[in-house]
Amino acid sequence: MKIVKKLIVVLSLALMVTLVFTGCAKEKTSASQPTENANASDFNSDKDITVIARDSASGTRGAFHELMKIKVKEGDKEIDKLVVGALEFDGTDKVITAVEGDKYAIGYISLGSVSDRIKAASVDSVEATIENVKNKSYKVARPFLLVTKGVENELVKNFLSFADSKQGQEIVESKHYISAVDSPVDYVVSSLSGNIKVAGSTSVTPVMETLQEAYQELNPGVTFEMQSQGSSQGIKAAIDGTYDIGMSSRELKDDEKSKLNEHVLAIDGIAVILNNQNPTSDLSSENITKIFTGEATKWSEVTK
Amino acid sequence: MEELMKSNKSNIKKRKTKSFLLKCLVWFCGILTVSVLVYILLFILIRGIPNINIEFLFGSYNSESLSAFSSIIATIIMIILSLVIAVPIGVFCAIYLTEYAKRGNKAVKLIRLAVDTLAGIPSIIYGLFGMIFFVTLLGFKTSILSGVFTIAIMILPVIISSSEEAIKSVPDIYREGSLGLGASRLRTVFKIVLPSAMPGILSGIILAIGRIVGETAALIFTSGTNVMKMPTLNLFASQRTLAIHMYMLASEGLPHSKDMAFATGAVLIVIVFIVNFATTRLANKLGRLNNE
Amino acid sequence: MVNSNKSNNLKEKLMQYVFYTSALVSVLAVVSICLFLLMRGIPAIAEIGFKNFIFGQKWAPVDTPPSFGILSMIVGSLYVTAGAIVIGVPIGIMCAVFLAEFCPAHLYKFVKPSVNLLAGIPSIIYGFFGMQIVVPFVRESFGGNGYSILSASVILGIMILPTIISISESSIRAVPETYKEGSLGIGATKEETVFKVVLPAASSGILTSIILGIGRAVGETMAVVMVAGGSVMPLDKIALLKPIRTLTANIVTEMSYSSGLHTESLIATGVVLFVFIIILNATLSLIKSSNN
Repeated sequence: MKIVKKLIVVLSLALMVTLVFTGCAKEKTSASQPTENANASDFNSDKDITVIARDSASGTRGAFHELMKIKVKEGDKEIDKLVVGALEFDGTDKVITAVEGDKYAIGYISLGSVSDRIKAASVDSVEATIENVKNKSYKVARPFLLVTKGVENELVKNFLSFADSKQGQEIVESKHYISAVDSPVDYVVSSLSGNIKVAGSTSVTPVMETLQEAYQELNPGVTFEMQSQGSSQGIKAAIDGTYDIGMSSRELKDDEKSKLNEHVLAIDGIAVILNNQNPTSDLSSENITKIFTGEATKWSEVTK
Repeated sequence: MEELMKSNKSNIKKRKTKSFLLKCLVWFCGILTVSVLVYILLFILIRGIPNINIEFLFGSYNSESLSAFSSIIATIIMIILSLVIAVPIGVFCAIYLTEYAKRGNKAVKLIRLAVDTLAGIPSIIYGLFGMIFFVTLLGFKTSILSGVFTIAIMILPVIISSSEEAIKSVPDIYREGSLGLGASRLRTVFKIVLPSAMPGILSGIILAIGRIVGETAALIFTSGTNVMKMPTLNLFASQRTLAIHMYMLASEGLPHSKDMAFATGAVLIVIVFIVNFATTRLANKLGRLNNE
Repeated sequence: MVNSNKSNNLKEKLMQYVFYTSALVSVLAVVSICLFLLMRGIPAIAEIGFKNFIFGQKWAPVDTPPSFGILSMIVGSLYVTAGAIVIGVPIGIMCAVFLAEFCPAHLYKFVKPSVNLLAGIPSIIYGFFGMQIVVPFVRESFGGNGYSILSASVILGIMILPTIISISESSIRAVPETYKEGSLGIGATKEETVFKVVLPAASSGILTSIILGIGRAVGETMAVVMVAGGSVMPLDKIALLKPIRTLTANIVTEMSYSSGLHTESLIATGVVLFVFIIILNATLSLIKSSNN
């Protein structure tokens, strides 16, 4: 009698637990694998938008917030007006996972990381494609420039040819940037040695470091000196000749253009990503700004 | 009188039901704990194992394969080197505490306090310390070596306390016998005490291996997140271990990174499983030895 | 003969020093961790201003001028830890009672290793599990976007279970049989005995387990980062289903790309966390010494 009672208790409890868990599991699958032809009526545009950003130290965030005027300059102050309560993640895949699982989410990632788990929205009716970035019609992008002054010496020339080469552009693409060189050629190893001084943008620094390491592997005699304190500093240093190469993550101004040689190292394109079930696929840049600064909090406010 | 009996009876009945409910609750919590574990394990294993293949385990890393080969080797290097540093120090410390130190000694109190404190420090703090001290101050850069030293400090308390337990449980008769036969104290420690305490020490070491394998926060700033195409033995290179490989895959956003994160998780779970199994076996063996 | 005795003596002395030095390594480690963290953290706090740092609600490290206020994260850590305690402690204690008093021997052989395995699973796997299962579950059943205090509490609650279970279990087992016999003798049911006699008698061990659990929850990094969402919330907007950033999450999300005062402020965040841990450790040794 007692054993039977016990058995019933155990079985019913086990059943309960399993039920709870299978419940979770089901919900999980339905959340993470949205069906292609989900009817739009599922999407309640009066729900709050889930805003997903990157952590404040991220280069992508810096670029996106500047391009989209989320970060604004007021006199000598610079303020990031990201809406309170926005999720902040330190990795692209976390952003993708969050957008993938949440119908009402919006986020941004490097264009190179877009996959079919989410969809990239058109911005001002321009599709987010590599071609559109290259022909400059897609605006949420910025170039990574290497600038030099006057006639470059052999060593700098050789390094720049490496950056433009197949090997160099492979590194660029491995960092999820868009290659700016149309048909790169193989790099030819030289036997040069010496020191190259580089200064400039913190966003360009990581890819530049990798390029330098790869270059040094082929040219052990070459050393680098690198300072990263921002694009303007890099451009200035190149103009006054204290550094051989300046790194910039913004377009040059006209007066700077006349003084420097430009090499487009890569293009940093950023895609605004939405859940696959979101019926919206086109957002104006004003509306993106509104969403990320919290002026618009519901999808119905930005789609009509 | 009858009424009293009645109320007593209903009272007893009430108590019985209450007891029964409590028993259900206790059973429920026990089953819940096991179910949570089984659920997590199955979830990772079922989604992960199908993605494990030869290329993932032994191939070269690129953004297509996301191979874990170099991370596996880096993890092994990390385990071996940090054990080489931490095990002698930890075991010697345990020998000092059990065999040499006088009871109530101030130094002993201090050491115990230090060991307890080390055990309670979260791994992110170890990571910060490693970053400040080994990476920057000693100039090891983000490298396997910085990671090794950081991890060695982190596993020290695990090794000390399990070795201490093991040495303490060696019966005094052994020592007395050895000393009585004219062996020196040192000889007694190395020839008699340590061999009998070996299973306990080993289970501490295995526990430490488990911690190293699963560690992320202490290593992310010290040995770094860099990944090599193929494994390298260069200790000054920054390399990620398996757990960090999983973290990066879960953050990076490469095409198959989610599947491969599951696969890495499955590998991690298999390792943890083996480690746990080995510890339990050794602990049982130790228990049996003591009972004899 | 005399000579060999002398060399033996020398060896003995030498090894004694080696043991002693090894024992001091852990003291040295604790001291240098304190020292180097404070050395880098305190100047940063001084530069930001103690009040602005601890009581500031605005965290905007890349604005010009930047703000470094971590109050929201301190509160976040407290909330998440409290949540973990609310979830983990009752289940953990119940499970410990189950293991110590109710579990049949043939089940024990299975449940106990499961609890140990739960302790061995790397935090990154808990985090990944949380991201893939708990977050969507919370989103679907309770609303919000899933990345929330609740999700973090659930994951941390599971993670502190093994700590609570194993220490509580051994302290329940340490309660003398005579207590139980006495209670059963006056007609109490087994459940009443366990909950009214045994548990109170084991309370200091259970308290220890809870404090260790708190320590683990406060210091946990990787799992929290993956499920808490990372938003720096103003105090009046913090809610159970809203995202949150903890001290540990702050360090790990921003460290890799930060520079200058931003990096230092993250180390200072580590100092604040360290102070929390020291307070917990001190409480623990107070409990220990009051028991002796």
